[in-house]
Amino acid sequence: MDSAIAQKTWELENNILTVETPDPSSDSIFYYDEAAQAKFQQEKPWANDPHYFKRVKISALALLKMVVHARSGGTIEVMGLMQGKTDGDAIIVMDAFALPVEGTETRVNAQADAYEYMVDYSQTNKQAGRLENVVGWYHSHPGYGCWLSGIDVSTQMLNQQFQEPFLAVVIDPTRTVSAGKVEIGAFRTYPEGYKPPDDPISEYQTIPLNKIEDFGVHCKQYYALDITYFKSSLDCHLLDLLWNKYWVNTLSSSPLLGNGDYVAGQISDLAEKLEQAENQLAHSRIGPLGPPRKKLAKITRDSAKITVEQVHGLMSQVIKDILFNSVRQSSRSQNDQSGPEPMIET
Amino acid sequence: MASSSSSGLTFKLHPLVIVNISDHYTRVKSQLNPPPLTSTSATVNGVENQQQAPRVYGCVIGVQRGRTVEIFNSFELLYDPSTHSLDRPFLKKKQELYKKVFPHFYILGWYSTGSDAQESDMHIHRALMDINESPLYVLLNPAINPTQKDLPVTIYESELHVIDGIPQLIFVRSSYTIETVEAERISVDHVAHLKPSDGGSAATQLAAHLTGIHSAIKMLNSRIRVLHHYLVGMQKGDIPCENSLLRQVSSLLRRLPAIESEKFQDDFLMEYNDTLLITYLAMFTNCSSTMNELVDKFNTAYDRHSRRGGRTAFI
Repeated sequence: MDSAIAQKTWELENNILTVETPDPSSDSIFYYDEAAQAKFQQEKPWANDPHYFKRVKISALALLKMVVHARSGGTIEVMGLMQGKTDGDAIIVMDAFALPVEGTETRVNAQADAYEYMVDYSQTNKQAGRLENVVGWYHSHPGYGCWLSGIDVSTQMLNQQFQEPFLAVVIDPTRTVSAGKVEIGAFRTYPEGYKPPDDPISEYQTIPLNKIEDFGVHCKQYYALDITYFKSSLDCHLLDLLWNKYWVNTLSSSPLLGNGDYVAGQISDLAEKLEQAENQLAHSRIGPLGPPRKKLAKITRDSAKITVEQVHGLMSQVIKDILFNSVRQSSRSQNDQSGPEPMIET
Repeated sequence: MASSSSSGLTFKLHPLVIVNISDHYTRVKSQLNPPPLTSTSATVNGVENQQQAPRVYGCVIGVQRGRTVEIFNSFELLYDPSTHSLDRPFLKKKQELYKKVFPHFYILGWYSTGSDAQESDMHIHRALMDINESPLYVLLNPAINPTQKDLPVTIYESELHVIDGIPQLIFVRSSYTIETVEAERISVDHVAHLKPSDGGSAATQLAAHLTGIHSAIKMLNSRIRVLHHYLVGMQKGDIPCENSLLRQVSSLLRRLPAIESEKFQDDFLMEYNDTLLITYLAMFTNCSSTMNELVDKFNTAYDRHSRRGGRTAFI
């Protein structure tokens, strides 16, 4: 069947590893083996290899909690801690909880209040049966992408000295909603003075002009880890059934309305970048052909990204309009083809 | 003991709560049944696994606005079923912690896992009544039944009924809807279908987006088909006429077309034109960038300042 071939092609293109539907026996990832974890802590295999941890596995629950918390902060950065364990070269994040601090980028350490909260929360959790330790921290960058700023890098370096194993996760809730997919990144910093052997190709992301310097200065001091997600068999089952109820929300969601000002911000940022690129082009007539061309190419990619998101949003709106509004229209004119025409004509 | 509730409250449940409860249950279950270390002990543990299905307890928190109760989050409780004692200091501590981070949320009730509400649950219910005078009881059935179509989550309220002359509190079932914010929906979707998380090409993004909408429309279609089938049956006389249902269907039909005002059309057109404008600008940027590259390449190929001078082609 055509659709089967199409699906296979799509899966191949995207390296989709079909995770076998977890059955109850494979929920072993949820088991916390205290002895094994303690032994791992003693061994400290990461002390010798700065690139030791390569993968992160995030549970469905942790992801949901982090994204909801990040989104609830609106345009304010929020932060929280993640609990989990390690497994060879992977860090497993089982749960996350929010911290009552307002993350302004000028603060390196959480205040004493937050420390108290952390200790209290960990204690109550242990009593309630969640035995994992704190294994990382997460915070949000609403609207400006998943990367570590200068403050974040110094915080993480400190953490990696005293609280190993530790992981930094950044979530962008605004881009998540606008793009329709989760924007998340997991990072670990290199120790001071360490030069990574090769430059890993990281996925390109648009950074607003006012943050681009901060990004550029520090982007070589940390590396990104691969993120995969897992869920329990019960989660799988429940999520499948959940679809029966909230397909309504999928249809009724309208990303255009929610993210209007974000898109406007993106476009004005793009305009500024264009001006900068233009100035650069004007100044370097005989000079090297490198930078201005690359700048313009980047701007083109950014504008393409904004457009694609807008078009997706508009597509949903048009589909909904055709579905629910064209009742009278279709009965009136049988020969009128539905499409852009009804929109432009009155 | 379950009949339909008459309190008139509407309940909205967030998917986060469901995933929370499921995670709590899976955690406790896997700690009780450690994974078999060798394959030979697997069969022995397999038999035991069937019997160890622990009940977990916890609190649900959220917001109540007027008659709408929205359940946002949940956390665990320590409860000893043998002595019927609720760990009060623990509850207080947890409440404080959650108040700091989510100042708007109140304790709305409690949850538990199991297949049906039991008599002993009334004890916890009464215990929570001093925090919230009418708590909810959310019950999740963790048994995985592949033929099940409905979400195994039920919400119970307590009502005072006079049975055998003695006023007693019994549980009554209430209906609920699933409510979600955009970010929650995207992450649930992401985890449920394991969509490609990185950029991919524009084509795959488009495919993913359209697939989502397509599945939703397919659901809508199948539901309408069911209704249609039912109505045809009623018309033929196979099924007894039910007037309340007919009224609901008729009111639903009368709501179409959804919006048909001048203002809506204007706004919609404006949005449409805005998107077209953005596409136009992006196209423009793309063209100028390509043009720029072309000019650069031309300059490299026909370099005027080369030693040979003039218009020799670059070989």
